[in-house]
Amino acid sequence: MSTIESASGGLAMADKLYQNRGGRARELKAQGKKVIGYFCNYPPVEFLTALDLVPFRIMGRPPKATSHADTCLETIICPYLRSCFDMALDGSYDFLDGLVVPHSCDVVQRIYDIWKYYCKPAYSHFLNVPHMTQPSSFEFFKKELALYQRSLENFTGKQISPDGLRNAIKLHNENRALLRELYEFRKLVPPLVSGTEATKILVAGLTIPAAEFNELLRSVVEEVKKRPHGSKTKRPRILLYGCEMDDITFVQLVESIGADVVIDDLCIGSRSFWLDVPKTSDPLDGLAEHYLEGIRCPRTYKPSISGHQSDLDNRFGYLLKYVKDFHVDGAILSIMMYCDTHELDVPDVKEILQKSGVKVLHLDNDYSMSNIGQLRVRIEAFLELIA
Amino acid sequence: MTEMPKERKTAVKSTETVKKVRSVVRTMYSRAHQAKEQGIPVAYCMAGCAYNEILDAMGIVPIWTENYAGLCSAKQDSERFILKAEAEGYSNLICSYARTGIGFDALRSELHGTPPGSPDGGMAEPDMLLGCSFACDPRFKWYQALGRYKNTPIYAMDVVIPSVDADMNEVREYYVKYQTEQFKGLVDFLEKQTKKKLDYDKLSDVIDTTDETYRIWWECYQLRKAIPCPMPSEDHFNAFVPGLFEAGKKETVDFYRELYTEIEQRVQNKTGVIDEEKYRLLWAGGLPPWHNMWIFNYFESHGAVFVIETMYKPPDPAKIPVIVTNPLERLAWRSILRWTEKHEKARQRSHNPEVEMILDMVDDYKIDGMVTHASKSCRASSMGQMFFMDLVKTYVKVPSLQLTSDLVDAREYSQTQWLIQIDTFLETVNSAKRGKNL
Repeated sequence: MSTIESASGGLAMADKLYQNRGGRARELKAQGKKVIGYFCNYPPVEFLTALDLVPFRIMGRPPKATSHADTCLETIICPYLRSCFDMALDGSYDFLDGLVVPHSCDVVQRIYDIWKYYCKPAYSHFLNVPHMTQPSSFEFFKKELALYQRSLENFTGKQISPDGLRNAIKLHNENRALLRELYEFRKLVPPLVSGTEATKILVAGLTIPAAEFNELLRSVVEEVKKRPHGSKTKRPRILLYGCEMDDITFVQLVESIGADVVIDDLCIGSRSFWLDVPKTSDPLDGLAEHYLEGIRCPRTYKPSISGHQSDLDNRFGYLLKYVKDFHVDGAILSIMMYCDTHELDVPDVKEILQKSGVKVLHLDNDYSMSNIGQLRVRIEAFLELIA
Repeated sequence: MTEMPKERKTAVKSTETVKKVRSVVRTMYSRAHQAKEQGIPVAYCMAGCAYNEILDAMGIVPIWTENYAGLCSAKQDSERFILKAEAEGYSNLICSYARTGIGFDALRSELHGTPPGSPDGGMAEPDMLLGCSFACDPRFKWYQALGRYKNTPIYAMDVVIPSVDADMNEVREYYVKYQTEQFKGLVDFLEKQTKKKLDYDKLSDVIDTTDETYRIWWECYQLRKAIPCPMPSEDHFNAFVPGLFEAGKKETVDFYRELYTEIEQRVQNKTGVIDEEKYRLLWAGGLPPWHNMWIFNYFESHGAVFVIETMYKPPDPAKIPVIVTNPLERLAWRSILRWTEKHEKARQRSHNPEVEMILDMVDDYKIDGMVTHASKSCRASSMGQMFFMDLVKTYVKVPSLQLTSDLVDAREYSQTQWLIQIDTFLETVNSAKRGKNL
């Protein structure tokens, strides 16, 4: 019986997939499918789906400390990436048939050559993603996407037709819509889905094909709809901002102390699904637009509008909409250590949130949660401030 | 163990010509202040973005903010700026160039004027901020962050480099096209800011001058293959400044001609850096420790000379197709050729252009040992050093050492630790060399 079949109910299935990451991908591999690992939100998963490849978002394994990675990778880099690489070196990612690395940030960009050298994947591709969003940037990115598509076609010996790509886009847009539907339940006071549950569901979805994730999400939505509403007292409502948070420990900590994490701006969270790939006559145009401008990550430069306040609104105005729609009381910025891209935005993110009346807590995230005791103290104090 | 004299942080140089660079740097900052007084536009700029010629042609005076951070560190005056940035909420783990620059502008904003005693009179207040994506993310995020302290027009552009996996025949055309358009976007912004049109003929002339600068500079460094080494790396870490920041100026061409003459003479006279050059070292990665450049002299006190380096090197001569006459396209071609100069060789061998560069240098410069510097706050220059050394050593058996501190934040530097590591490393180099000679 497969991982998907053995669980009863969407939430139970999500939990099972979360606990046994890679389990479903290994099953599918045993059935003859190829599994392609990728980093970040930038490589379009639609290409993989169109070619019947299994997309697998590469994640780390906190709280396990790195060991193998320390012998060939500097310690002064993103701890998430080091954890992922550590897993690759000890064989935990041996089920991957290929690797796709985007030029998302300095560290992810540089892991490409290193991973290829030490792990020798059968297939690999580096996707150059512009940092800018001028019209020429979209044209360039479209060419890079076409190159990536050809590379996958060469690897699989199959072609992606424009209709095939449109169908894949439709499938993944359904995925995005279902996730947004799920997040609607988090707007309720109190929310019907906890941040812990949402994290498990998101992580689960990153390890299975889109069609299976859509089925899981429909099941989860049906379960959640049936939950009684309004029976619990209101707790402080938290927006969680950061980048890679593929483990429940932090969210669980916040919620165990007495708050509800009701919305996020995280790589595996809302950033990945809040906007759809637009319908365009050439699907590559839609993909270029979505993946360059639709993913709201600090690695993509948003041109300055006149004046500091306008610039903040342009870059982070969507956070204020989250604050309003999800009735946010406080924001926790959990910023990955050694991440220049996010860290250089922290004072600006704090400013726009504080000006809107939201209390903000800024924490360093070492990915392993080794400082959980200190985090507890700081979060407790923060929640008292909000209360 | 030779101890560092308490008063010495900077390196003693060997060549006379590079001693002129200090006045070049001073002039860069005083020129910007004068420009402000005269109403000439001044711009904050990032190195290596290949837009220098455009600024020269348009009469815009650049302020190289990374250079300023290095200068502050060398003058032992970066701490107050770094602490200010950290007090403003910027992590102590982010790029220390950015922390220095942000801290400087935060202090300037607070004090309503240049922080007193700033090295070389401080950075003039810019009229525009020109970021770019070349090399690392802070190079466009830093200026974006400055929006907190100044309401200055800002523009950022991409500099794109194809992966070594890419077939250049398949990608070259659209990479050149995009890069050209990125330069065009910058020109449009600058024309709007200055209300002046770019003179494309003048730009072509400036590019010609830069080409000449790079040619002579490159020739200088071929002379450094001589034994004994006529010009060490601590000299290079001054000598690169005119080439990187002022390449389009006639004075820079003259500078490298003078440097060439001096090095040539030293080669003919077999004038080395030290009396007995026992070991020839390669600075194989990472930015140097601007806060303690004396360390190069420490190596020399043990008979080890850094004869060449991978950082800030002059580009290999680039063969731009003759049909390319549009100056923006020339700049685009030059940028892409520069950053893919080792791609073809890499595809045949190591599959890594950085490694190919190191292997060529080990061979050409007769290297006995390699040293890299990993900076705590610089992912771009530090990540992958261990990997490069690993890969290099599958081809050549040359000992390596990775030192760690930071580019400019001296709090991360431990002299005791470094001296022990260096002493041990040089013993290894000595053993390896004796083993080779048996």
